[in-house]
Amino acid sequence: MKSRPRLITVAVAVALLAACAPEAPSAGGGGSASGNQVTDATLTIATTTDVVNYNPLVGNSRSDYWITNLMYPHLLSIGPDGDKQPELATKWGYDNPTSGYYEIRSGLKWSDGQPLTAKDVAFTLNATKRDAPAGTLTGQLTNFESATAVSDTRVEVKLSAPDSTVIPEVGFWGNIVPQHVFEPAGSVAKFANDGSNGGWVSAGPYVLTSVQRGQSYTMERVDNYPLVDGGKPKAAKIVYRVFPDVNTEILSLKNGDVDVIANSLPPAQVKGLQSTSGIKVAEVPGLGYSHMTYNMTKPDLAKKEVRQALAQAVDYNAIRKVVLQDQGVSTGSSPIMPVLKNFYDDSIKEYRYDPEGSKKLLQQAGYTADGNGNFPLTFRLIYSLQDPVTTQWATLVKDGAAKAGITIELQGLERNTYLAKTNAGDFDIYAGNFAIMDDPATNMALTYLPKGAINYSYVDDPALNDLITQARVTFERDKQKPILQKAAKMVRDNVYDNVMYTQNLYVAYRSDWSGFSVKPSELLSIVNPISVASATKSK
Amino acid sequence: MSLLSFVLKRIGRGLVTIWFAVTVTFLMLRLLPGDPAIAIASTNMTPAIRAELLRTYGLDQPLPVQYVKYLGQLLQGNLGISFSQNIPVTDSLMEMLPWTLLLVGVSLVVTVLLGIPLGVAAAARAGGVLDRLVQVIAVTGQSLFVPSVGILLLYVFGLQLGWFPIGGAYTDGTYGGAWYLSVLSHLVLPCLSLVLVQLGSYVLTVRSTLIEALGEDYVTLAHANGLSGRRVLWKHALRNALLPTTTLIGLQICLYLVGGVILIETVYAYPGIGRGMFDAVTRLDFPLLQGAFLLLAVVVVVVNMITDVVYGLLDPRVKVGA
Amino acid sequence: MTEPTPPVDPVLHVSSTVDSPARNTWRRFLREPLGVAALVVLLLLVFVAVAAPLLADYPTGYGNAVLSPPSGGNWFGTDSLGLDVYSEVVWGARQSLLVAAAASLIAIVFGTLLAVLGAYFRRLDAVISVIVDLTLSLPVLPLMILVAALIGPSTITIILVIAAFSWPEVTRVVRSQALAVVRLPYVDAARLMTSSPAWIIRRHVIPAVMPLILVSVVLTSSRAVLSAAGLAFLGLGDPNTWSWGRILYEAQQAGAMSTAWWLPLFPSLAIFLLVLASTLLSTAYNDARNPRRNKS
Repeated sequence: MKSRPRLITVAVAVALLAACAPEAPSAGGGGSASGNQVTDATLTIATTTDVVNYNPLVGNSRSDYWITNLMYPHLLSIGPDGDKQPELATKWGYDNPTSGYYEIRSGLKWSDGQPLTAKDVAFTLNATKRDAPAGTLTGQLTNFESATAVSDTRVEVKLSAPDSTVIPEVGFWGNIVPQHVFEPAGSVAKFANDGSNGGWVSAGPYVLTSVQRGQSYTMERVDNYPLVDGGKPKAAKIVYRVFPDVNTEILSLKNGDVDVIANSLPPAQVKGLQSTSGIKVAEVPGLGYSHMTYNMTKPDLAKKEVRQALAQAVDYNAIRKVVLQDQGVSTGSSPIMPVLKNFYDDSIKEYRYDPEGSKKLLQQAGYTADGNGNFPLTFRLIYSLQDPVTTQWATLVKDGAAKAGITIELQGLERNTYLAKTNAGDFDIYAGNFAIMDDPATNMALTYLPKGAINYSYVDDPALNDLITQARVTFERDKQKPILQKAAKMVRDNVYDNVMYTQNLYVAYRSDWSGFSVKPSELLSIVNPISVASATKSK
Repeated sequence: MSLLSFVLKRIGRGLVTIWFAVTVTFLMLRLLPGDPAIAIASTNMTPAIRAELLRTYGLDQPLPVQYVKYLGQLLQGNLGISFSQNIPVTDSLMEMLPWTLLLVGVSLVVTVLLGIPLGVAAAARAGGVLDRLVQVIAVTGQSLFVPSVGILLLYVFGLQLGWFPIGGAYTDGTYGGAWYLSVLSHLVLPCLSLVLVQLGSYVLTVRSTLIEALGEDYVTLAHANGLSGRRVLWKHALRNALLPTTTLIGLQICLYLVGGVILIETVYAYPGIGRGMFDAVTRLDFPLLQGAFLLLAVVVVVVNMITDVVYGLLDPRVKVGA
Repeated sequence: MTEPTPPVDPVLHVSSTVDSPARNTWRRFLREPLGVAALVVLLLLVFVAVAAPLLADYPTGYGNAVLSPPSGGNWFGTDSLGLDVYSEVVWGARQSLLVAAAASLIAIVFGTLLAVLGAYFRRLDAVISVIVDLTLSLPVLPLMILVAALIGPSTITIILVIAAFSWPEVTRVVRSQALAVVRLPYVDAARLMTSSPAWIIRRHVIPAVMPLILVSVVLTSSRAVLSAAGLAFLGLGDPNTWSWGRILYEAQQAGAMSTAWWLPLFPSLAIFLLVLASTLLSTAYNDARNPRRNKS
């Protein structure tokens, strides 16, 4: 007689499952409560992007930065007014226009006991320059030549040309990595830093201890972290959990499965979460801007009147009110962020929304409208579909332009295609945003100098070039400021860039946690190292 | 035909299938637009960095050279290094595969255990109210849009009722027995979603094949021989209804393991291969994608082979290899 | 229990009444309430798609009440730009049905052609069935995602991608029926009468497999709707036209799926009705066509 095939199949399936099934981790500790605070609590942070790479010099996703920032220190941080602040470095500056320095704290150690000295700083900078990994730091090293550790706490940096932006920018952007871990691997551009050689080495406040790819990244406290009050991080463990869908993420925060959502909230969810009990929402000043650039290599867009007409055909207020739910702030159409209080020029005013005025400008430029009021002007606007906010206001831009008789064809692209087309200049209008524009001189050099890495308007204005180059070699803040403000005004008046708003970001967390310190930008927000190390949970 | 030559032939076909899947993926990635250098370097890209990246990835070589190199690597069991993670593809895939297997396997078992009785019940009273009800339920499940259902389940059972955790495959910080329990509680809702969607085809297939089998001559004969109606049903007809069900299991595994789970893993934050593949697509991580597709092709082939063998064992009229 | 009857080849099935088989099928179909209801729902959805301009204004621009629940002014509520969800669903029906119909049409024409050719010309058959098997073993959704991501989301891409991965199943199903037909005596007789395969195929083979094709159309379309919605949900749909998948995608991106229940509900309901009706319709049609297979 035939045996029971169904049971056999089930048994085989179960056996296969058991063979491939994941195994339970071994035992560990938990938290305890004393007084009003839970000591040794675990802070669970949710993110929508998966962690790709643990090498901060290469860096791939937002989550990569959040996690590696908890292990590899920056020399400099940023304050609420946009000024650079000490972190690993206590003093920094220039001895002469081509020689800069950092003085770092003494007595620091990596989590494996090795001392953290100026040699690690020098190694990091030199290796990045030599191996050119595809990360942000490499881009900051254009005028960097070499770094030398002249003592345990002092690094001297030689520049190949005078540049006042190198020291602060490299200090802000560069993570310092342990020489004794990264050097044996050869090229830092190819080093995976996946902890396969006995785990990770961190300068604190936390070190990665276990990873379940796509699910969770567990970090444990490094006991000696001088940068936080008391010298020891409060929470014993940080767990980063990945939620590809923001809807599930929000449900999970409401449920208490996670304590913090690190990615900024979609604007439409902020009010709802603010009024949810058990949840608090922190406001994080934006450090970047959203903008449109008009490709000046195209004959129509090379005309200033056309660009001005386009700039006046956008309903900025509607965008900020509806798409951003009043969470966006005008920059006055200037590339200098309001949060950078020491540079911001509030005399620069935003373009007015005036479609009729646009029509007049176009007529002045020699264009005639047809019977329907439409000018023979059609422009292709590219934007990334992965950016929901830009996707939404792109349609409003199109509608506004239509009122002025200008036709805009929207071309929403998948991210990589978008990047490729941007690079190739394959667009008429580019819509996008920069998350961090922390230093006007550096940013303007990249954005407005010919062959600048992010010069998407292909502008080449000699007067503007002079101003920017001058700013870059001006070492005193008071002298640099008027030059930059003049440059910003020139950008605005000539519509070399249509800076539409800077978006203030909101992050949500459970109200039984407190002690976070907010820093500008989504990169830092409340998940910057000091904030995370200071957070405590009440009972 | 002997068993040996049958198995060899199937293995041969399986290898051709795997080769086909690998080649299709390989070609599509390289012939369709998409630049992995940009995906890695994004706004930091300079021509120098781009050239270096392409050289590292081997993408600056002519296509046939790349292909031959890749096949050579494959034969040595080397799936290459992931572009974005810089670790061997095998490591990356093996971290994700068990979870997808768990999810699909468990839901498959549940679907079969639920589907067969439902199909039998419907077939036994075909045309009646129960039959119609079962049909509607079966088709309803198939017509649901997975992400909406997923969020709904999470909202109702996760947030409002608090019965199940939201997102992930297990609860961090649990160990030993508690860990297994947490895996189970995290598995319930995703599994439920998958079952809801798959149940329909099982039920309908069992129902229709059983109805047909009930009309077959040998059933009539069994009746004429005086066997009670119930026994006839279960003994003879069911055994034959199992044949297409087995084939269907094979097909379903292919359909769902290899793709349908992407939506479920995304909504439930389940760290399986579906999501891993989707991430690899967004990052244009060629080796990881090729490795994932290869893995899926292997699974499909293996499952089909097992299905064929089981099919042959089950059906007294089919000789394996005939 | 019915009286036992041997399984009958549906093509040679002899009608027991004087009416044509088609009329009998129709009459039996009408007796099945589920099938009739499904047909009505399907026709209603098609009507909504065709008559969209009469039923709602095209959703464009923005509205002042963002994410507000269903009310007298907005029957289905508003979305994250303040636009009326009811209009989006109505106009979205056009795109969703268009994509489904076009994709399945291409898949079916292509698939049937290959199946019939393979059935008729034995040498082609070997090649075709190998290609079919291989293609069926490819992971469908991941490949769709890959191609859509690489080429770039647009209506044409989605239609072609879905069609490209739907045709093998059509071929497989139609092929077995076509093989049976081709071997029938009257087809052999036809071969003696004419040397034109095209005529034989058109005159005899296609009509014989037509019922299967009809069923296939409905089933493939409904699956295409789900595939298209799934792709749109993952961000690979056409961003310039309204479709049910796009409404769901925007709901997902705005984090509104659990807080603004009306946003995912109505498009999901529309998809659900379409797929449900299609499947029930094809089942009822099949049952009506082959009464022997159904107990009465």
